[in-house]
Amino acid sequence: MIFLPMFGSLILLVTPKRWRDEMAGLLSALTLGFGFMIWRAGGSGPLDVNWVPALGITYSTELSGVSLALAMVTAFMSFIAVLYAARRIPNPGTMLSLILAMETGLIGIFAARDLVLFYVFFEDALLPSLLMLAIYGKQGRMRALVKFAAYTLFGSLLMLVSIIGIKYLGGSPTFALADLRTHVLPAGSTQTWLYVAFLTAMAVKLPLWPLHAWLPDFHEQNHDSGIPDVMGTLYKVGGYGVFTFGITLFPDASLELRPILMGLAAFTALYAAWIAFHQQDWKRLLAYAGLSHMGFVALGVFSLNETAVIGAMYLLAFQNLYTGALFLAVGMVQERTGSIQVRVGGVMTQAGALGGLTLALWLASIAVPGMAGFVGEFSILLGAYQVYPWLAFLAGITTIAAAAYALTAFQHTFWQARPPGGIPVRDLVHTEWLILALPLGIAIFFGVYSAPALNLMQPAVKAVLTALGGQ
Amino acid sequence: MLSTPTGTDVYAMGALFPILAVLLGALLSTLLGFWVSRRALTYMNIGWLLISGVWMMTLWNQGRQAFTHAVALSDGQPLITASLQADNPALLLGLVILVGSVMTLLVSLDTAWRARISFPEFDAMLMYAVTGALLMAFSGDLIVLLIGLEIMSLSGYVLATLQDSRRAEESGLKYFLLGAVGSAILIYGIAFVYGATGSLNFAEISLRVGSVSGLLPQNTGILVGGALLVLIGFAFKIALVPFHQWTPDVYSGAPTSISLFLSTVVKVAVFAGMLRVFSGALADAPGWASVLQILTAATLIIGNSAALLQRNFKRMLAYSAVAHTGFLAMALLGTPATGGAALTYYLLVYTLMTAAALAIVAALQRSEVGMEISDLRGLFYRHPAYAVALAICLASLAGLPPFAGFFGKYLAFQAAFQNGYVWLSVLAAVTSVAALIYYLRPGMLMFMPDRTPSREYAHGQRPPTTLAVVLGVAGVTLLGLLPNVWYGWVSNPAIWQLLAGR
Repeated sequence: MIFLPMFGSLILLVTPKRWRDEMAGLLSALTLGFGFMIWRAGGSGPLDVNWVPALGITYSTELSGVSLALAMVTAFMSFIAVLYAARRIPNPGTMLSLILAMETGLIGIFAARDLVLFYVFFEDALLPSLLMLAIYGKQGRMRALVKFAAYTLFGSLLMLVSIIGIKYLGGSPTFALADLRTHVLPAGSTQTWLYVAFLTAMAVKLPLWPLHAWLPDFHEQNHDSGIPDVMGTLYKVGGYGVFTFGITLFPDASLELRPILMGLAAFTALYAAWIAFHQQDWKRLLAYAGLSHMGFVALGVFSLNETAVIGAMYLLAFQNLYTGALFLAVGMVQERTGSIQVRVGGVMTQAGALGGLTLALWLASIAVPGMAGFVGEFSILLGAYQVYPWLAFLAGITTIAAAAYALTAFQHTFWQARPPGGIPVRDLVHTEWLILALPLGIAIFFGVYSAPALNLMQPAVKAVLTALGGQ
Repeated sequence: MLSTPTGTDVYAMGALFPILAVLLGALLSTLLGFWVSRRALTYMNIGWLLISGVWMMTLWNQGRQAFTHAVALSDGQPLITASLQADNPALLLGLVILVGSVMTLLVSLDTAWRARISFPEFDAMLMYAVTGALLMAFSGDLIVLLIGLEIMSLSGYVLATLQDSRRAEESGLKYFLLGAVGSAILIYGIAFVYGATGSLNFAEISLRVGSVSGLLPQNTGILVGGALLVLIGFAFKIALVPFHQWTPDVYSGAPTSISLFLSTVVKVAVFAGMLRVFSGALADAPGWASVLQILTAATLIIGNSAALLQRNFKRMLAYSAVAHTGFLAMALLGTPATGGAALTYYLLVYTLMTAAALAIVAALQRSEVGMEISDLRGLFYRHPAYAVALAICLASLAGLPPFAGFFGKYLAFQAAFQNGYVWLSVLAAVTSVAALIYYLRPGMLMFMPDRTPSREYAHGQRPPTTLAVVLGVAGVTLLGLLPNVWYGWVSNPAIWQLLAGR
């Protein structure tokens, strides 16, 4: 499942132009299909191969539990992105290859059970996203690009040092998670410092408050279609990384830093929602909305409470669905009105279906009960309340703020009076229906019937939290 | 302790052959230059280099030595020392040198004519320089090391000045003057080391430095002074800050194929020498490590931040070469086993990626000044293959996986980290961010659409240069995906015990 998209990305380079769309669609669908097969089989077993024995680097992967859920969502959204890119972008060959190359990186991140391998995939997912920005970006992309790269790579390198530190100081023979877990560092300042270094990388990706500045620029400068943004919602990686590697490898440090980190997370959620309220540009708004969601995820993960962590993983997985679809919806609005400004006005009168689906997706995003987002956010608040009630309350305000910014912006674009002389706006056509309705359908399905996903995640979360000695 | 020559037989001379093959190529180029075209000479020299490489591989694990001496130790056991040793580290580093040289020759096939350096003398000088470089890698005592260094440096000065232009003359003169200062300091340092230990041979020096009894207390000061002088002499040659000032001028002033040679082969050879001296002979000597640590830190900071400010792509690569020196020097701070392995791996990767990047510059530049970074905009739409290759080289230089530069950097970090230089590895990580940005900028500019007319040399893509680029890119990718192909060879700790010939 991991390398199929990368293989596809290379195949696309030699596929004749006519068949590129179909080829990319087929390969991304196949990847998703493999995902289903693995799910049916109850997760793939661990695969361990010695990669660089001299350095103790192994190629160990496993897709099960949380990582499988995240990988499937990624595969699904890649499929949707391919579907949309094929129609929207003229001559989409390069974009399609990049989407597929990135899919490999992302799935690889979730599958990796070796720290160096994780790092390798981590950087691998980055390159295509940088290229997307470089090739399809807007005027100010160079600044956005440098900012994005500087933040992420700075984090990664600290992570690399921390990785070396964990292995060397812990005395583990390899970088494989299984080995590292048996050689956890004793509690103390060393562990805390390494955790901070590791966390820096994750906080950039997550992103957590002081390290989030790259995010809005990144989304604003990307191509209008919103495809890079779908793939660019790689901030899933941060929450996942803290969960899988952070908690397991630095149990004492994560307990020690819990109040600070939860505070930061709650602040991030609230602050981002506040800024989102003032945005004039749909993509910036979505970026801040995503940031706010990630604050929630971080709150859940850092609280180290079982309910909250499950909620965080749930939100992490499904947030990508509706946020991604919303980015695509923004792309569709832009295609029709030529602008991604919030104050367009009156789109609803002519494009009812687009408006309706967008509204539904927004409702999913602001965690209306019955949608997947609600399950996640509610569990996080429930869990976090048991740890620090006040922080949970503070973060809870965010949900109100979210409703405020989402509905205001929606009202401006879709309901407000149309500006005189506006061009006629076409409603959804062809695959566009699918592109918006499928993610929505899944968000509703898992909002109503969350058992399959929860059953998948619960054991994994429990296993990780045992590292803390039964919190 | 008396040292007596034990004589050298034909079997032992086998150790010499890889060097002799290259020297033969140099001599033939000097003579045949009157009758044969330069292209023919270049093909012949590539052949000699390949023969030398194959011969090196057959010498693997044999540990042959030439010009051996028997030293009577105090406990009566004789210690066999050699002035020239074809042990495994020498062979590994020698192969790296050959890779860089072959790539230089391939590139020069296309660009030497345009750069107005297409004389037989170019080939002759280049081969002499390679001879010197190999001598350094194979050296068993300080004198052979020095001879190798001088042969290499002198040829290098000529190469840098070969082009008939003011820029080349200026860069050559600068190179010569500063190189001569470096050599002088190095020789002075060697004299000090001899004064302190009474020997020039690495094995003997390391023996006396290691055992306190072999060294009179008052000699320790002289030893420390000598080690520092040797370090500074080498620092000039590999461009450690603050002895780096000549590098950007020389690398950007010399014709590009020669910058390629100077920034890869010469650096590899000097690092080979440093590895012999500091991880071998003077490994137990006090003082040098802390100084090297500070020099490394300064190199990392200044090299990376200066590269950030460059507008000219070739100059940027020159500064990035300075920055990479810092990473390479970090490996020297590791224990011989981890550091030597890390250094050898990194040097090969560094040679491949730097040479490929400069080969592309050589092929596409309009003049020997190189290209402005802004000229790279839209390169992908004009020369897609070269742009992708250059992007891979830049990604590798920046240390992004899955390319080999990542493992190089990783190994260097690890070597320093495990030997206790934690702050230095953190500093290296921080300065790498600057590196990532300046590699990223040209890398991304290439992929941005651009409608202005191209600024490249129209007839740049020729088979030999493309072959060199393919060699570099394929090597970097292969070593990145399967680092074990090369690292499996170099990582054996046993071979690094032999660095000093003990």
